[in-house]
Amino acid sequence: MFNIDQYAYSNRLTQVHPGEKIAFALATLLIALVAPQPALPAIIVALMAGAAIGAAGIPARFYLQLFLIPFSFLIAGVAMIALTITNQPLAGLKGLTLLGWTLGVTPASLHLAGKIFFKSLGAVSCLYFLSLTTPMVDIMTVLKKLRVPALLVDLISLTYRFIFVLMATVNDIYTAQAARLGYASLRTSYHSLGQLVANLFIKTHRRSQELFTALTARGYEEELQVLDVPKPFSWPFLFLAAGLDLVLLSLMFIFRRWTLWPPF
Amino acid sequence: MAALLEAEAVSFTYPDGTRALQKVTLSIPEGKKIAVLGPNGAGKSTLFLHFNGILRPREGRIYFAGARISYSHNALQQLRQQVGIVFQDPDSMLFAASVRQEISFGPLNLGLSKEEALARVEAAMAATGINDLRDKPTHFLSYGQKKRVAIASVLAMEPRVIIFDEPTAYLDPRSTREVMALLETISRKGTTIILSTHDVDIAYSWADYIYVLAAGQVIGAGTPAEIFSDAPLLEAADLARPWLLDVYEDLKNKGWLPLEAPVPKSRDELLALIPYRCRSQLAI
Repeated sequence: MFNIDQYAYSNRLTQVHPGEKIAFALATLLIALVAPQPALPAIIVALMAGAAIGAAGIPARFYLQLFLIPFSFLIAGVAMIALTITNQPLAGLKGLTLLGWTLGVTPASLHLAGKIFFKSLGAVSCLYFLSLTTPMVDIMTVLKKLRVPALLVDLISLTYRFIFVLMATVNDIYTAQAARLGYASLRTSYHSLGQLVANLFIKTHRRSQELFTALTARGYEEELQVLDVPKPFSWPFLFLAAGLDLVLLSLMFIFRRWTLWPPF
Repeated sequence: MAALLEAEAVSFTYPDGTRALQKVTLSIPEGKKIAVLGPNGAGKSTLFLHFNGILRPREGRIYFAGARISYSHNALQQLRQQVGIVFQDPDSMLFAASVRQEISFGPLNLGLSKEEALARVEAAMAATGINDLRDKPTHFLSYGQKKRVAIASVLAMEPRVIIFDEPTAYLDPRSTREVMALLETISRKGTTIILSTHDVDIAYSWADYIYVLAAGQVIGAGTPAEIFSDAPLLEAADLARPWLLDVYEDLKNKGWLPLEAPVPKSRDELLALIPYRCRSQLAI
């Protein structure tokens, strides 16, 4: 997650207006979700990989590693959907039969599993594109422009900042414990971990009070007002993004009947 | 010189019963460099929070620019514009995702327009030498950089007095020098500076006037020369003597310095006092 954040600030698309990137990611996400053909999300996965690796310059290795996380969840989930256990004869059921019960797959269940698999991957790739290319600051600027309530944006902003403070605190406590053999055995590990968690709450509470004092000292009233970071619109990106989404949309309508995948 | 900030018999007790301040009376003259010395837990930070109206004295009064502080909402907002605090831990000040946004927080709270706020932010970044950090997220910064951003965020509000709570704590020698140089620049522009520190060498060379706090009370006040020649006071406050004075006195006692040699303010002044002994030999 820390790597994602670092790439968000240092990739080649950082200077592109965040609104354009959000619009592109969300429009494509929508297509991935509504398209009846499983092929479209598959194309979107490839397209977003191209955008992230080719256009934004995210290392391919890191990008693929990132996909391992949802991939493992997906495989487990999709396998459960694809597999059927039944004692009824189902159309096209293939599999192992034991004492009248069959563990197997049907074309319908395979189709459903494939559809979910590609839709999920397509959706994840859209969100990965956004989080890898757009710093949180920019996303919050857009949220404010969209008139999302200030309280909500402030909360997002503080949560974001405090994830890092919290991680640093965890790191400090863990190091201090490990340096005194707090994690030498399983028993001490449990004990140390418990103390770490308890301490973390106390420290976090104190930090939040310190922050409040410091903010009050600078005239904080009820809204965390900060200057937005102005970024120019880039027409090439906008045109390219709109063009790609139009192509995807037309594919969706042209191959309306091509809804079976895999085709058996 | 008129007093900008005054505390008159201020007492404060925290809800847990800690008596942090007891009848503290002191005054901060405008445009001066004031150091507040004292061991941990002496009440320095508590006193500073009173100057900014964040804490309210149980007894006693705080005056700003001759008028007693009012704790109404509007008066407090105005006071906080005039009295800035740079807290010891920059992480407790920084909340925004980028450096520029962080610094813009104070100016925008003052009700400035975006253009004016941006101008203030630019000026503060230039003054603290962090122009190249403007779009960096605050969590990527080093400790020294965070400290500078914290200072810039207060500077951008253009207060009349800035309180620095142990500005050199945890800093490496180079960052310490840079922060002290920055304080000197800020002071030269007419801003009053209050600084708390344990570093007697810094306090001795830097301050115009020193207050010594211990156990919530003011136990000493005076110019650096007065404070550091008062051995019982230093003892009571757990303070060491600046090395500069130790060396100066030893040189004088052993006859290397004339008795009428002035007390040096800095290392360079001391070195200039020490006479050459065998100039001919050195000139080979």
